[in-house]
Amino acid sequence: MSRKTIGIVDYGVGNHASVQRAFQALGHACRLSNEKDFLASVDVMVLPGVGAFPSAMQALHSLDMVDFIRDQASEGKAIIGLCLGMQLLAEISLEHESTKGLGLIPGTVQPLQYSACHIGWNALEVLHQDPLFMPCNRMSVYFNHSYVFEVPEIYRAARVSIDGYSYTAAVRKGNVCGLQFHPEKSQTVGKQLLNRLVEGLAHAK
Amino acid sequence: MLNKRLIGVVTVKNGWAVQSFGYRRYLPLGKPEVLVHNLDRWGADEILLQCTDRSHPSVGPDFELLRKVSDLGISTPLIYSGGIRGREDALKVVSFGADRVMIDALLKNAPADVEAVARVLGIQAVIANLPTKNAPEGMLLLDYHSGHEMPLAEAVKLLPLDWISEVMLTDWYHEGYSEAFCMSLLAASDLLRKPLICFGGISTSHQIRALLANDSVVAIGVGNSLNYKEHAIQALKKDLFGVAIRPPYYESSTL
Amino acid sequence: MNTKMNLRCVRCLYPISHPLGLVLDESGVCSGCLIHEEKDRLDWLERWRKLELLVAPYRVESGKTYDCVVPVTGAHDSYYIVDTVKNRLGLNPLLVTYNKYFNTPLGIRNLANLRIQFNCDILIQNINPQAVKRVTRTTLRQMGSIYWPCIAGQTVFPVQTAVRYKIPLIIWGAHQGIEQVGMYSHEHEVEMTRRYRKDHDLMGYEADDLLSIFDSLGEDDIWQYRYPDDADLNAVGVRGIYLGNYVRWDPKAQHEQMIQRYDYKGASFPRTFDTYDHVDCYNFMDIHDHIKYLKCGYTKITDHACREIRFGRLNRKQAQQLVKQYESQPLIHLQKFCEWLGVDERGLEFILNQHRNHKLWTETYPGKWQRKPETDDLVQVAAMPESGFLGFESHTQLQMDRDDAYITVGKGYP
Repeated sequence: MSRKTIGIVDYGVGNHASVQRAFQALGHACRLSNEKDFLASVDVMVLPGVGAFPSAMQALHSLDMVDFIRDQASEGKAIIGLCLGMQLLAEISLEHESTKGLGLIPGTVQPLQYSACHIGWNALEVLHQDPLFMPCNRMSVYFNHSYVFEVPEIYRAARVSIDGYSYTAAVRKGNVCGLQFHPEKSQTVGKQLLNRLVEGLAHAK
Repeated sequence: MLNKRLIGVVTVKNGWAVQSFGYRRYLPLGKPEVLVHNLDRWGADEILLQCTDRSHPSVGPDFELLRKVSDLGISTPLIYSGGIRGREDALKVVSFGADRVMIDALLKNAPADVEAVARVLGIQAVIANLPTKNAPEGMLLLDYHSGHEMPLAEAVKLLPLDWISEVMLTDWYHEGYSEAFCMSLLAASDLLRKPLICFGGISTSHQIRALLANDSVVAIGVGNSLNYKEHAIQALKKDLFGVAIRPPYYESSTL
Repeated sequence: MNTKMNLRCVRCLYPISHPLGLVLDESGVCSGCLIHEEKDRLDWLERWRKLELLVAPYRVESGKTYDCVVPVTGAHDSYYIVDTVKNRLGLNPLLVTYNKYFNTPLGIRNLANLRIQFNCDILIQNINPQAVKRVTRTTLRQMGSIYWPCIAGQTVFPVQTAVRYKIPLIIWGAHQGIEQVGMYSHEHEVEMTRRYRKDHDLMGYEADDLLSIFDSLGEDDIWQYRYPDDADLNAVGVRGIYLGNYVRWDPKAQHEQMIQRYDYKGASFPRTFDTYDHVDCYNFMDIHDHIKYLKCGYTKITDHACREIRFGRLNRKQAQQLVKQYESQPLIHLQKFCEWLGVDERGLEFILNQHRNHKLWTETYPGKWQRKPETDDLVQVAAMPESGFLGFESHTQLQMDRDDAYITVGKGYP
């Protein structure tokens, strides 16, 4: 395992501490930042997030991060969106009001249909045999959300079932991926997945 | 398939993790962060850090303790309860490492602030704690500070439940006592119409199995009895074979 | 819970500053005294039956292996524990002990005698002394503790042995949290946990915490103190029980039985009237006791006095007076410790002053400290009691007929 540099985008939203500690515990150098020079230099950029889509996008705009992140993605930077951070990768979200997202992966963020919230440990069903995700196929990870990011099937890296309905659990488009669940709070399964993503995405172009 | 959850509860008073008995009597256990770290290693599905005497007087959440817990680098979802006065406190608690917040006093004192908390964190991150007792005249909701009890049926009309994802139904009277949770409290699910977390006097897998058989019960909180034996969480999970709950986990440094 | 550090129980003498956590009820009686009442309230015959049922599945019928692991020392109720396990429960124990290095000749003699009298096999863990000294220097400097390696070793070696030899049952004597502060009821039947060891025995620091926090130590120094993995414990089914939950635990009475039946020997200490406990160590009732005073505001004599008050053998006023007398007695084994560790007394004093509890001590003048006043300060100091006080017998000295020095590796006693 080689030590990577990871930059967590600091846009004032979310639980960075746990995410940072998770990467550091895996042996990677990990810092919180909104400095473009630093974020451009890292091996992997992580977009965390907790809360509401519109205010998160507003925070990114006010820090002039939106175009920067889009450029980084098109240049091949490895990007991981976590929870709300995954949803921000979308083209558009319907949370509260219709808001444009980063548009890195096609699709819409919309309310969960089966109930107000999806809370707890649920088993992943990995699609397309993605080697970064296959080792956690059928393993449970921790979800805590009320909106889902629905994408064209080709970008759906994993799905999860609730009451017979399936929803997107993870997305991937080349060097950009997103996890709806909390890998930093999913104990061993989460840690191992984060490690694979850091190794794998940094090499995927 | 969505699993049901076993929540390890750490009750804190005056900076000490304590065994609590009906929230009236306490025995010290040790350092809260050491108990939290232990539950993390044991693979609890969630950990509830319940700080008592933070709202009366209103001193706010115990950020120092949250920082100590966070510094341990736990990888288990953390629910924080105690002294959350509004939106700013809730945001700060989450930035210090909690994933969800549990509120009690705020529900009655400032219901509008509950909406503000839910808007900024997402409803999924907000849980209501309802200390309830079964009485001949019906279920009663307790206000810890005043000591007053109010019929739950009336309280429900005033509580901002639209902004809550789950309700922790706390059998406060039997809390801390072995196998004492009052099953008839489950009738509250008809009134509340929210997923329920049961807590208070739950110590055996037999009780947990019976409670989780109920569709509205999504999680069980266990407190005092987790401190009596090694691998207490795993032992309960082993006995819950057949129930939709994650299997027991035993840490190994060689994996 | 009251936050005034100096507040004490109205029955025994324990202060609120007790490191295990002490709660006083509305009448000022502490949790320890309240739980102690169970000793006279519970049906011990019934509890003994429970113990017999508990251990029955662990008894290996073929007799070709050990039924349980029993941690022992040359003191600490070891004789009583082995007698109970072997002769009353009819189990075949493997005794284990961790070499503290601070061993007194009397401790070595008692341990050898234990093995011979009960005809048991014993495993002794000797960790290389250079590593032990490095760890001791680190824990002394960082936590003000000279005893971390001793406690870490004593509490982990039995568990490692259980895993390595696949002997699931470990039988301990009393649970310190129950005996001192009533942390649990006897009826909770609390068992050994890694969490309690980290929290209370090791002051919040496991072996890997020392490694990650203090860069003076390496893997080689600490790996032996590492607790076995949960997966290994589960594979063997390791379980540690406390006899004190099933037997009416009374150390004084127990030791006296053991003296009579199995020739256990005690010795007197300047800093306590108890002659039975801790005779195996030069430092526990000496420099370690002094450190306890700096950090907690009371010493081992208070533990002994509280215990005897609760058993009705001492009254509180007598106890207060005795504590004042014994607490102030000077240390007599400090030089041996400093030589062993390679520190000088002044340097040691400097380090220890950094760990004084400022809620209990004031620095009145640089390097000069005074205990903050308590309401009990008006108590008169008792005269030093005669030997044989309360019936505590002393049979010899710690060094017996040997040199007054540590026996770092005991080859047994004739």
